[in-house]
Amino acid sequence: MHFIVCLKPVPKPGAVKVDPETHTLRRESAELILNPPDLYALEMAVALKEKHGGKVTALMMGPPNAADLLREAYALGADEMVLLSDRAFAGSDTLATSYVLSQAIRKLEPYDLVLMGKASIDGETAQVGPETAAWLKQPSLTQVKALWPEDGLWVAVRFFEGFEEEVEFRGPAVITVEPEVNEPRPPSLKRMLAVRALEPRVLSAEDLDCNLEKTGLAGSPTQVLGVFTPSYDREREVLTGEAEEVVEKLVSLLRTRGLI
Amino acid sequence: MGGFWIYGQWQEGRFHPVVYELLSVARRLKPALKEKIVVVVLGPEDRREEARELLRYGAEEVLFFVHPDLGYFRDDLYSEVLSEAVAERKPAVFLFGATAEGQALAPRVAGALGLGLTAHCTAFEVDEEGRLLQIRPSFGENIMARIVSKTRPQMATVKPGVFSKAEPVDEPEGVLEEVKLAAVPGSALRRRVVRTLPRKESPLSRARVVVAGGRGLLRRENFDQLFELAELLGGAVGATRPVCHLGWISEDHMIGVSGETVSPKLYIGFGISGALQHTVGIEGAEVVVAVNSDPEAPLMKRADIAVVGDATRILPLLIRRIRELKG
Repeated sequence: MHFIVCLKPVPKPGAVKVDPETHTLRRESAELILNPPDLYALEMAVALKEKHGGKVTALMMGPPNAADLLREAYALGADEMVLLSDRAFAGSDTLATSYVLSQAIRKLEPYDLVLMGKASIDGETAQVGPETAAWLKQPSLTQVKALWPEDGLWVAVRFFEGFEEEVEFRGPAVITVEPEVNEPRPPSLKRMLAVRALEPRVLSAEDLDCNLEKTGLAGSPTQVLGVFTPSYDREREVLTGEAEEVVEKLVSLLRTRGLI
Repeated sequence: MGGFWIYGQWQEGRFHPVVYELLSVARRLKPALKEKIVVVVLGPEDRREEARELLRYGAEEVLFFVHPDLGYFRDDLYSEVLSEAVAERKPAVFLFGATAEGQALAPRVAGALGLGLTAHCTAFEVDEEGRLLQIRPSFGENIMARIVSKTRPQMATVKPGVFSKAEPVDEPEGVLEEVKLAAVPGSALRRRVVRTLPRKESPLSRARVVVAGGRGLLRRENFDQLFELAELLGGAVGATRPVCHLGWISEDHMIGVSGETVSPKLYIGFGISGALQHTVGIEGAEVVVAVNSDPEAPLMKRADIAVVGDATRILPLLIRRIRELKG
């Protein structure tokens, strides 16, 4: 069986710098990590591979320096590493990103399932999974908690608010995995050493036969007009001093207002 | 042609509360956008009377697609029916609740038709060109982004619980348009079992007091003290996304864009810088207290009471003091 796991490089929380002039993010300055929710998708795929055989391809769209994150995925159990890197991908919104991923996934055929994390911690849209499925004209199942093969079909348990559903379907399909449904394993030392000698396969827009009108800013129908910092005109009490002192002030303020 | 469309999501034979919240958004934007407010509903014909009820909440039309196979949500089937309806009727706006179903469905429609989609909007405006400005928190410190769509319909999902529900109107004027579908596409998904989960209503969403912690608490042992404080105050414990990822607490406790929305009388944030991804979830708090050694942190600036100091020291002292008071 062939499982493709899509992974996103995201800035390490707290490491993002905002340009004081333009208020835009200086992404290039931030240290990148594997999007934490994606680790549950990777673990689900690696566990399925161990049980039923096959291979796991780690697929990532990102800058050239994201290659190390793919090596991390290898240490976590992935077998192949594919990096989609091209200036033409810069500025892609979720629609353009899912287009590029779908073009790459077609190149990786045959495969059984595409797995992704539920959402990224930077964009937090949860859109790329179902959008990729739409480009591929395949079924999508979001917020999947458990997944197993049964008589040539797949069975997934997925979460909704207030209920869960057990669904049967035929692959290939695109799955997004609910966070915290498994325990991502620690990286294997042996694999960490082995991957030093390996390079991810790097594919460009041309390699993927991308229509450049569908990638990057040109292919992104959503456009950020600007950013702003909300202002709060509230009457504010600022308490300063020694810790014991400010606690005393705080407690008396909260008591006066009937809050404790 | 045109129209301000709202996805009429079902929940146990009724409409999901977010549908009424989207109706209030549509009604508020009506004077600026001047688009007819349409709720799009999919289902078998015995849901007709429920669907008609939406007219009482300000829908100017309920567009009801009827087929026996539309009895429950299936991603591929529902998105194909909606995509066809959008392609044919060309609405100007199409909003979905950012529920599990809405988040599974809206991007499939957007992907199928090549449309822009903005996730988890917390506010909307209309500009002088009549475009819908979709506002959502952006990653990083304290910025909101204004987003426009270059494609039509302008699509967005809206976080449940952010907007108030529409009030009933005195004289409903809309109509129910029933579209009987002769055939619907087959679905690749076959439901085998449905299990109702115990309504895991987060204690956070209804808590009177919320005490939350961020990375400024430095260690899990410090963070764990929040439970003691929450118990003393009869409240619930909340967290920022980074501490959930550090494994200090499960994501059920996360407040913010993809977590819970809280509206307590008192919110106290310890060692939380106040990224908007977190603070959009505390908009409804009556009194906000921030404890942080950095007086310039965004949460300190928007707090009603800003306590300048080391959160890891202040938290245990506060617990001790309140315990003394309670005897």
